[in-house]
Amino acid sequence: MNYMLSFIVNGTATDVVVTPTETLLDVLRDRLSITSPKRGCETGDCGACTVLVEGLAVRSCITLALTVQGKSVTTVEGLARDGNLHPLQQAFHDNGASQCGFCTPGMIVSLAELLEKNPAPGRDEARSAIAGNLCRCTGYVKIIDAAMAAGSIKEKGGPL
Amino acid sequence: MSIHYYAPKTLAEAISLLSEHAPQCMILAGGTDLVPKLKNDAAAPRALVYIGALGLSYIRQEGSRLAIGAAATWSMLTASSLVSSCAPVLAETAGMPATSSPGIKNAATVGGNLATASPAADLATPLLVLDADVCIQSVRGARTVALRKFFTGPGETVLQPDELICEVSIPHCLGISVFEKIGRRKAMSISVVNTAVRVALEDGCCRDVRIALGSVAPVPLRCPLAEEMLIGRKPDRELFKACGAAALRASSPIDDAAATAWYRRTAGAALVARALGKAAGLPDTLEK
Repeated sequence: MNYMLSFIVNGTATDVVVTPTETLLDVLRDRLSITSPKRGCETGDCGACTVLVEGLAVRSCITLALTVQGKSVTTVEGLARDGNLHPLQQAFHDNGASQCGFCTPGMIVSLAELLEKNPAPGRDEARSAIAGNLCRCTGYVKIIDAAMAAGSIKEKGGPL
Repeated sequence: MSIHYYAPKTLAEAISLLSEHAPQCMILAGGTDLVPKLKNDAAAPRALVYIGALGLSYIRQEGSRLAIGAAATWSMLTASSLVSSCAPVLAETAGMPATSSPGIKNAATVGGNLATASPAADLATPLLVLDADVCIQSVRGARTVALRKFFTGPGETVLQPDELICEVSIPHCLGISVFEKIGRRKAMSISVVNTAVRVALEDGCCRDVRIALGSVAPVPLRCPLAEEMLIGRKPDRELFKACGAAALRASSPIDDAAATAWYRRTAGAALVARALGKAAGLPDTLEK
């Protein structure tokens, strides 16, 4: 059976016909060419697929697409504003927090949820926020440094 | 095979759909257990009934009881000031990194944790010591089942195929409740053994005691014989150690990929003793 999914992706109203077992990840990557969320484990464990649904970080690989009917979904592509990078994107760049980049979108999305709720988190809070995001390259330290740097940008009233 | 998807807006619609499609339908809330099963064909229903739009995400006071809608997520438990004041052990359990990750907790629901009925379910043990009831609806009407009678086996509950958990209801509980778990890593860790305890003291002695264990039996387990050992007794480290051992004697842990029965029994007994000590206010000599 096919069903119409109408939802908002990165601010744009979008309609796509899906089957019940298509995941949000399938729809974002394969139907809408929004490729920042990655296929990692596809069981909800690695965090590479993480996107925001109504501002909350969720695993798009185990979210059935139809369950976001009418909701707003944000990926890394939607975090920049008017050509300005989100503080996290800027901080990841400045702090060398990406190596291969595969985990990076999931990391940024998970930290973006944290910064919305807590603009000046401590290192432990940042670690908890990425507890479900695996990185095989960096050893995480620079990712946490970037989270701290982004927090201080937000606190000083930087973009977003 | 074509699957049908329904997103009912009312409870009446939802239970009618379940009645029509049972037993070939599955209830979808957060999907954190269901969707992985769908993806590897461990589940092949003909219909999915999504219950996220039924208004079952509430957390509210009803008289002296705390009522948690079945679709309330783990994140909602942690964020709720009502849960933090009435049943703080739930907020702590749902909030600790060991029990899962933010991305899962934003979707995973209280009802789902109980319906999936893993013996390791981390919310089951604290809800057991809080004497929770499970409120269930179907076209035959509403019924309430005490949580300690809800689980019947690994992954099995008293739920009929057309029944829906609507709410978990918790009475006002005396005392302090503590949840502890051991897993193989610091976050997103399936419990190798977990425990929840509740201790209420009166005149320095234990008046109400509840002890529950997870991952050491086919179901999350209450330990009434171990609980009775403590009634009327003063909190005491040696007594709590003996009580922990008694609690584990009533369990039946198995060897599996995560741990051995021996480890679960040994570590579990120590975990119960530690939790009892915390709940009774003894200074914890183990924590640094």
